[in-house]
Amino acid sequence: MTLALQSFQNALPSTLEQGFIYALMALGVLMTYHILDFPDLTVDGSFPLGGAVGSSLIVSGAPPAAALLAALAAGAAAGLVTGLIHVKLKIRALFSGIIVMTALYSVNLRIAGGSALISIPRDKVTLFRNNALVSALPEGAATLVIAVVMALAVKALMDLFFKTRLGCLLRAAGDNGRVVTALGRDVGNVKILGLMMANALVALSGAVLCQQQRLFEISMGTGATVLSLASVIIGVNLFQRLERMRATTKAIVGALLYKACYSLAIALGLLPGDMKLVTAALFLAILAVGYRKRKGAPADA
Amino acid sequence: MKKRLILALALVLSLLPLAAPQAQEKPLRIGIAQFADHPSLDNCREGFIQGLAEAGFEDGKSIALDYRNAQADMGLTALIASSFVDNGYDLICAIATPMAMTAVNTADGKIPVIYSAVSAPVEAGLAGSDGLSAANATGTSDQLPVKAQLALIRAFQPEARTLGLLYTVGEVNSQVQAKQYEQLAPEFGFEVVSSTVTAGGDVALALPGLLARADCLSMLTDNTVVQYLDVVLDQAEAAGVPVYGSEIEQVKNGCLAAVGIDYLALGRQTGRMAARVLKGEAAGSIPFEVMQDSALYYNSGAMQRLGLALPAAIEGSIQDTAENPQ
Repeated sequence: MTLALQSFQNALPSTLEQGFIYALMALGVLMTYHILDFPDLTVDGSFPLGGAVGSSLIVSGAPPAAALLAALAAGAAAGLVTGLIHVKLKIRALFSGIIVMTALYSVNLRIAGGSALISIPRDKVTLFRNNALVSALPEGAATLVIAVVMALAVKALMDLFFKTRLGCLLRAAGDNGRVVTALGRDVGNVKILGLMMANALVALSGAVLCQQQRLFEISMGTGATVLSLASVIIGVNLFQRLERMRATTKAIVGALLYKACYSLAIALGLLPGDMKLVTAALFLAILAVGYRKRKGAPADA
Repeated sequence: MKKRLILALALVLSLLPLAAPQAQEKPLRIGIAQFADHPSLDNCREGFIQGLAEAGFEDGKSIALDYRNAQADMGLTALIASSFVDNGYDLICAIATPMAMTAVNTADGKIPVIYSAVSAPVEAGLAGSDGLSAANATGTSDQLPVKAQLALIRAFQPEARTLGLLYTVGEVNSQVQAKQYEQLAPEFGFEVVSSTVTAGGDVALALPGLLARADCLSMLTDNTVVQYLDVVLDQAEAAGVPVYGSEIEQVKNGCLAAVGIDYLALGRQTGRMAARVLKGEAAGSIPFEVMQDSALYYNSGAMQRLGLALPAAIEGSIQDTAENPQ
């Protein structure tokens, strides 16, 4: 047990790095699932989309900033398509996401040049390697610092956005579409905007992850929706009583806890087949503790 | 309310006894990271452990092995690799391409990585064209003996014109192998017809079209399609199309024949390479090795069902695996 804890502790920096990178995706899903009340399955496709766009640009020598911006734009485009399908063709939210997610598999493969893998060579300039920022930061901490700064910056921008008129409309669209209509705005357009922003963040997360791992893999999106939903639900439920804590903060903490659960399950040295069971038990434990804290509240996860 | 907390804790604790026993001494620590649960990859791991033992490194004595399986989950793959690196292991053994790439990138030269069951190390960026890695890594490749396989198929079916391939579009090893088939097939008078799937569920849908066009099927080391081998065999047999395997396990399961890679031997070869690195050689100075020994296998039960005869030319050099013909 002490050995397992030791091992978990040693793996903490990597766990946090990954947690903060996945937090970008959780922030995106927070926008669709929690705020717009839109179950968006596009995520399984837009996460690797960001990875494919970002990695192929990095390999062709583009600067990391350009790769990230392109990933953001690609993700927004994916969200736009899902939104248009849902709003204009009046197709159910779940199915709109499934359609786009399915199409993106082929799109991602095309972007990756028909290959299932893109390996980013060691000498390429990425967000985490071979740039001035990384050499200025203390060695070993650079990756974590960059990941934390990115997650916090995106969180701060989101918090600011939710205070603007448009941000309020977005929140209103999720709570009660009629309010938006009463204000003379089109609920559909607001939803589309939310989907674009959310998937832009999801794609950004994918692009950052690929640069950190120096690897894009076509199936990296499998389970991305579940992973990010779990992060958001863990965060939002665990801290439901803390009304002052922003939802964005809860999503980030949720993503960190999600990764920590996996990391702990690995550290415990279980039989490989039992790992998911233990991870599920850890999730249950977290949610049960959250439930205990807000006794009397209805369970509406 | 406390009860709930206790219940949750009890649930977690009750799973702890499943934990593998950890070694007590301070031997060299070796992390084995395997990408997926798969008989060939399991054989590879067993072989690796045997190869290390043959070279004097026995688990629990001079080395402590720590085995993790990523279950084909890329998120887990990354966490396992970083857990090995962060815990300062002395060597990482990475089995299958995605695991190998992640381990090499995560270790970043700090820890030697010995990979195995990587079909195309150069294409995967694990080695340069000289076979050496810049990142303190080396290993073994399970490149298919495509030429020998084509010759084997030609021997069984002198009249066949088209050779069918079925593989997953998302597996880089399959893409590379399919290309090799396309390049080499004309030498043996075959035209390659292929069909691709994106997931196991597509296999049953893709087969009818492919079987209508192909005189025979040859399996690649495609993780997804191999898992659906029974579906392939059922449909192919009904259509009277022989299926050739990519390894001995597939022939045992009902493929007609194969030029088989022995993954246990591949693993042993990898284990011996790891031993050289543990003794002080730099992994970056050892070129990756391709499995040399392959053998011919056939399944007499499958052969009878297809109404084929054992070709005289290879009769002496081929082994029957059909102690348990399906």
